[in-house]
Amino acid sequence: MDLLQVIVSGLLLGGVYALLAAGLNLIFGVMRVINLAHGELLMLGAYATFFFYDTTGLNPLLAIPLVAAAMFAGGMVLQRLTIERVVGQPLLSSLLLTFGLSTLLTGVALNLWTTNFRSVVYEPLTGSLGIGGLSISRSRLVAFAIALVVSGATYVFLRRSTWGKAIRATAQHAEVAQVCGIDVGRVRLVSFGLGSAMAATAGSLVAIVFTFNPEIGRVFIGKAFAIIVLGGLGSFVGAFLGALTLGVTETLAAYYTSTQLSEAVAYAVMVGVLLVRPSGFFGQAES
Amino acid sequence: MAADGAQAQSVQTQSAAAPPANGAPLLELRDVDASYGKVQILHAASLAIHPGEVVSIIGPNGAGKSTVLKAVMGILRPTTGQILFDGQSITGLRPDQIVRRGIGYVPQGRIVFRDMTVAENLEMGAFTIADKGRVRPLMDRVFTVFPRLGERRTQRAGTMSGGEQQMLAMGRVLMSEPRVVLMDEPSLGLAPRFIELVFEKIGELKEAGMTLLLVEQNAAKSLSISDRGYVLELGRNRFTGSGPDLLADDRVRRLYLGG
Ligand SMILES: Nc1ncnc2c1ncn2[C@@H]1O[C@H](COP(=O)(O)OP(=O)(O)O)[C@@H](O)[C@H]1O
Ligand SMILES: [Mg+2]
Repeated sequence: MDLLQVIVSGLLLGGVYALLAAGLNLIFGVMRVINLAHGELLMLGAYATFFFYDTTGLNPLLAIPLVAAAMFAGGMVLQRLTIERVVGQPLLSSLLLTFGLSTLLTGVALNLWTTNFRSVVYEPLTGSLGIGGLSISRSRLVAFAIALVVSGATYVFLRRSTWGKAIRATAQHAEVAQVCGIDVGRVRLVSFGLGSAMAATAGSLVAIVFTFNPEIGRVFIGKAFAIIVLGGLGSFVGAFLGALTLGVTETLAAYYTSTQLSEAVAYAVMVGVLLVRPSGFFGQAES
Repeated sequence: MAADGAQAQSVQTQSAAAPPANGAPLLELRDVDASYGKVQILHAASLAIHPGEVVSIIGPNGAGKSTVLKAVMGILRPTTGQILFDGQSITGLRPDQIVRRGIGYVPQGRIVFRDMTVAENLEMGAFTIADKGRVRPLMDRVFTVFPRLGERRTQRAGTMSGGEQQMLAMGRVLMSEPRVVLMDEPSLGLAPRFIELVFEKIGELKEAGMTLLLVEQNAAKSLSISDRGYVLELGRNRFTGSGPDLLADDRVRRLYLGG
């Protein structure tokens, strides 16, 4: 059945989006910084995975923990050198800063890697599986499963561990978190590192599912915004539902109209939701 | 207004105003100046608290009472002056470092982590406790002081009443086993029965030997449970003395106790 096929395919796509949006949300929650360079972190993750595969020929999934660890470290450096300076400043300061970072990273990547599209074609991840009459892309299924595991693990970490709770406490009230003895500067550092690692992991998954070039950061940040508008800024569960919704909507649009048009879907959804319900559909802000 | 640079007046010259004879202060501010941006709020504010004492800071709105507590906690850095805890300078340390030294702080406005449960709020209060095995017993002790919190341990803090949130904020500070607790207007904006309860609990803490620095707009009530008090006006020490002496002093009564 075609419609079901399209919906399942869209849901699988949504898992990768969810991972991207969750990182953006985490960073916003803790720092009140909207990271416009989040899409470029994804782009870097995609290239890192591509080069790992290109040089080693090993299963590109093996790159994921390495890329995530590298971006965790890289994200912390970026936070200390730049983002930390705009924490507590007017929103415009951080928007301009991260916009600058986004443009800079895209520019450098274009210089190094050109506008040529790349992809990671690893034989065992290609083709489709037949499940209950549906034909499901193997790479999408694997990407979805990994995105789900990483998002789920992050969620459990934030809910259950002392450090995760300290992150949530800082997001809710930084000053009180501080007088509970939490070093909120370190929480900001680690949260940005985590958010960056999540974006990079989404990038690794994008590399095995799609083709990409240095400009995809812009495409994906647009999707992440649509998701957050759907889910409510700061809501982990809301963003997850928003991501699945966007994935399905896009896939339906691509199926019934054209691929070009599906690119615009994220923005159409964003504008539409903001007109109807400025606070988002699925959630009030909660962390 | 107090004369510039003048020493705070003692309302009684006898021993009551002087610190207890035994030993050094646990917490001491020496001539602390502090500013928000370019506006100087504290002008040579000084005070001392000895182990086991309950000390109140009273004064009109905007006098800088909260600012004194924020300066102690490192939320606001003094521009000059020194803050000593247990004889060591804590001036310029970060709030989390100051908490680790053993100072607890209940901010004004009964602020809790609204989206976390009562138990999670208390767990955050114990963030500095290295041995996590001690968190449960500490929490149980808080539940014996505030049974209401025990009944609501899985409830989201944001859904509780204002009075219950203040109990939670007070319970949270005890989780770090502080050696001195700073409380900013713990009874402000509460229903009368909760105001009674707050002062009752402060009395219990005092009985248990806790060292407390209390900021209250409810000056009469606050002084009546305090060993000593400081009257702050426009960021300067104005009067100081024992709780009963301040309560009995005409000038203090006229200016701050509405009598
Ligand atoms: N965050 C702030 N920024 C600027 N000015 C402040 C801030 N907080 C307090 N003030 C000012 O500092 C003065 C003292 O405030 P505060 O210490 O809160 O007084 P109190 O607690 O005695 O009512 C007031 O004039 C107040 O307006
Ligand atoms: Mg105040």
